[in-house]
Amino acid sequence: MRSTPQTLAAIAGLVAVGLLATGCTTTPTETAVGDPISGGTFTYASGDAQPSCLDPHVGGNFPQALVSAQYLESLVSRDDNGAIIPWLAESWTTTDDGLVWDFTLQDDVTFTDGTPLNASAVQANVAHVLDPNTASSTGYLALGKVASTEAVSDTVVRFELTEPDSALLESLSQPWLAIQSPTGLERSKDENCEAPVGTGPFIVDSWVKQNAITLVRNDDYNSPPADAAHEGPAYLETIVWRFIPESATRYAALQSGEVDLIDNAQPDTIVQAEASDTLVHLDSPRPGASNRIELNGGKAPFDDVLVREAFIRSANVDDAVTSLFQGTATRSYAALGSREPLAVGRDDLFDYDPDAANALLDEAGWSERDSEGYRVKNGERLNVQFPVSTNQSIPAEQSIFEQIQATAKQTGFEVSLAPLDISSWYGALGANEYDAVSAPYTKAGPDVLRVLYHSDGIVPAPSGYFANLAQVSDPEIDALLTEAAQISDETERAALYADAQNRLLEGFHLLPLYDQQNHFLLQADVQGMRTLPSVSVPTLYDTWLNR
Amino acid sequence: MSGDIRLPAADAAPTPLHDRARRFTAPEVVAGAAALFFVLAAVVPQWVAPGNPLGINPLSAFQPPSFAHGFGTDESGRDIYTRVVHGTGSSLLIGAAATAIGLGLGIVLGTLAGMFGPVVDFTVNRVLEVLFAFPGLLLALLFILVFGPGVITATIAVGLSTAPGYARIIRAQLIAVRRSAYVEAATVQGLGRTQILLRHILPNTLAPLFVLATLGVGQAIVWAATLSYLGLGAEPPTAEWGAMLSAGRTYITSAWWMSFFPGLFIVLIAVTATVLGRSLDRRLRHA
Repeated sequence: MRSTPQTLAAIAGLVAVGLLATGCTTTPTETAVGDPISGGTFTYASGDAQPSCLDPHVGGNFPQALVSAQYLESLVSRDDNGAIIPWLAESWTTTDDGLVWDFTLQDDVTFTDGTPLNASAVQANVAHVLDPNTASSTGYLALGKVASTEAVSDTVVRFELTEPDSALLESLSQPWLAIQSPTGLERSKDENCEAPVGTGPFIVDSWVKQNAITLVRNDDYNSPPADAAHEGPAYLETIVWRFIPESATRYAALQSGEVDLIDNAQPDTIVQAEASDTLVHLDSPRPGASNRIELNGGKAPFDDVLVREAFIRSANVDDAVTSLFQGTATRSYAALGSREPLAVGRDDLFDYDPDAANALLDEAGWSERDSEGYRVKNGERLNVQFPVSTNQSIPAEQSIFEQIQATAKQTGFEVSLAPLDISSWYGALGANEYDAVSAPYTKAGPDVLRVLYHSDGIVPAPSGYFANLAQVSDPEIDALLTEAAQISDETERAALYADAQNRLLEGFHLLPLYDQQNHFLLQADVQGMRTLPSVSVPTLYDTWLNR
Repeated sequence: MSGDIRLPAADAAPTPLHDRARRFTAPEVVAGAAALFFVLAAVVPQWVAPGNPLGINPLSAFQPPSFAHGFGTDESGRDIYTRVVHGTGSSLLIGAAATAIGLGLGIVLGTLAGMFGPVVDFTVNRVLEVLFAFPGLLLALLFILVFGPGVITATIAVGLSTAPGYARIIRAQLIAVRRSAYVEAATVQGLGRTQILLRHILPNTLAPLFVLATLGVGQAIVWAATLSYLGLGAEPPTAEWGAMLSAGRTYITSAWWMSFFPGLFIVLIAVTATVLGRSLDRRLRHA
């Protein structure tokens, strides 16, 4: 029979999966931490998608930021309190009207191809990001108010703006606006994507697609950010940057010592690792927006604020976070993440309250139920289309959506979850075929609110994507966010953002879940590992192996 | 004692072939019982597992197998035994429907090739060869890529990808039957072509197909589960074995039961179908 061997092979495969046993742990070796040891190869295992281009100007997503932070550097960085600190720019000044910014660069820095870092190099980078051929999205948006640049002197570069931008420094701290060698940028896009040239502590050596990127130490390195723990070249000699998308496989590789660090760690493995002596957990929530579900107010049923509130009151998020994240994530009640000093949380608005939800739906006219218990109005079932990006939502998150689906059903909502690959998911959003969606968006600072909730964000970009997925169109919110983005007085800025957030949350446009999770697990003998507070990407500059 | 050669006793006559074929072997009995269980679970799941397969209870998530939850609970506190039992119906239905599609298409293509002359035969064979060039699962994946994921497309995809195999076997069988003495006799008697096809050739060709179909159901279920495992079949939170196996994969280091039991059921149903198919084969051959 032709079919039998295939059937048996498939069975064998399934049995193998079923019998995969838990890995064993080794006995811990307690060593006092001494002086940093130079040398060694560090293996990083990423669960994120492999970037198609290593130059974060092109497109601009989180996987690119993760790896490029090892070989590219930005003009400024942020410290742990969110304050802006010097990096490639050692100082900066701005005029009273906020329209002209002068950045003074460190004067002894060269790119790893020998090109000197100077004002014209920064100009070339701004031009590269704004060049339509680069197809930048994240970096491009962040430079939206930049009208022109000028080389005042060899080390002073001037940014002239169309309107004041209180978020300019936060934007420039992001890896998507890192400074690359102008000589490198002159190469073809393909060549620059293969091996971008920066000033960073490591250099891209080779990239074997679908396997690993190899980075080697930059022995002439002299430009660490102001909050780095040491000066001079990095300790590690080589970094092997691997991609292991399957979370259980990634964790097994860490347990066996095959890799030194994994990102995108799952809650259950974090709990296991914390109980072990050989692994360490590093929790570094991303700044900018919280992880939230946007309710599409642009069409029925969520164009009615009563229905939006009813949905939020029907979703038992607290129990879901407790069971699925097992203490590794904290419930959020804010549109901004907890790393943002200006975040406003409203825990009075998001409690699970099915009675209130039922009353709200009755009031909104969804008072009848069909034979399956779903609410109906004018013959239409109360349906919520919820496309889920399987590339961007971790399994625990997808399970939270299932639990929300189950609790919302009790109130009479029919939530249709559709797991989609990323291009179909973008397609569904672009075609306005969604009522609820969870879309990660990382931008440092509270100005991310303007990207996500200003009515300008409803107009699709040429790619078809628009960031205001809640389709919030509120002139008052628009005015608050626009003014906050221009004002330089910190107190007034905070007050404007507080007003905008309160109005946004009271309008029930979004259901906050928790901070954008960013968990790393590493071997206990890895020392000096931290993330850059700008967008919480790891930096291996201070890292060394105590072995 | 050395040199003592044991010979069968002269009076113990060898069991006649048809007797040996008729007696049920232990695996057949076990497979029969399992098949009965699967059919019950498919038709009246609430008798076999009274709970709600979609009922969540977040605060009792990730519980290992116990008296309260024989197969443990999943990440949302749903009972895995209940879900596995309630998933039987859709798995069996997908398996049967996919096999029916594959067989149906196979019969049409095989008949065309086997009955309508060398030109049609040549054309159909070339088409089949192209289809054979893709491994079955790849063909299914291609189909899903074009028509989008979901239970229905997954079923059709699995059916389509099994069709070439059936078509080949049917064609070979048809050609053999067409050249047999009784068809020749019918032709000599002056029966029309359609009549010969319907009354003599097809009935004699289709009997062995029951065997193939039984075996095929097992294979189709495994393939359909594979597609769901890859996220291309059943959608959450449907109680479907492949999807459950996939959900459990994430937690395999901390909650083995989440993937073990759905996997076990897939194995059991595939083995059951194979044992029954073989047994049917043996019986038909000796009938």
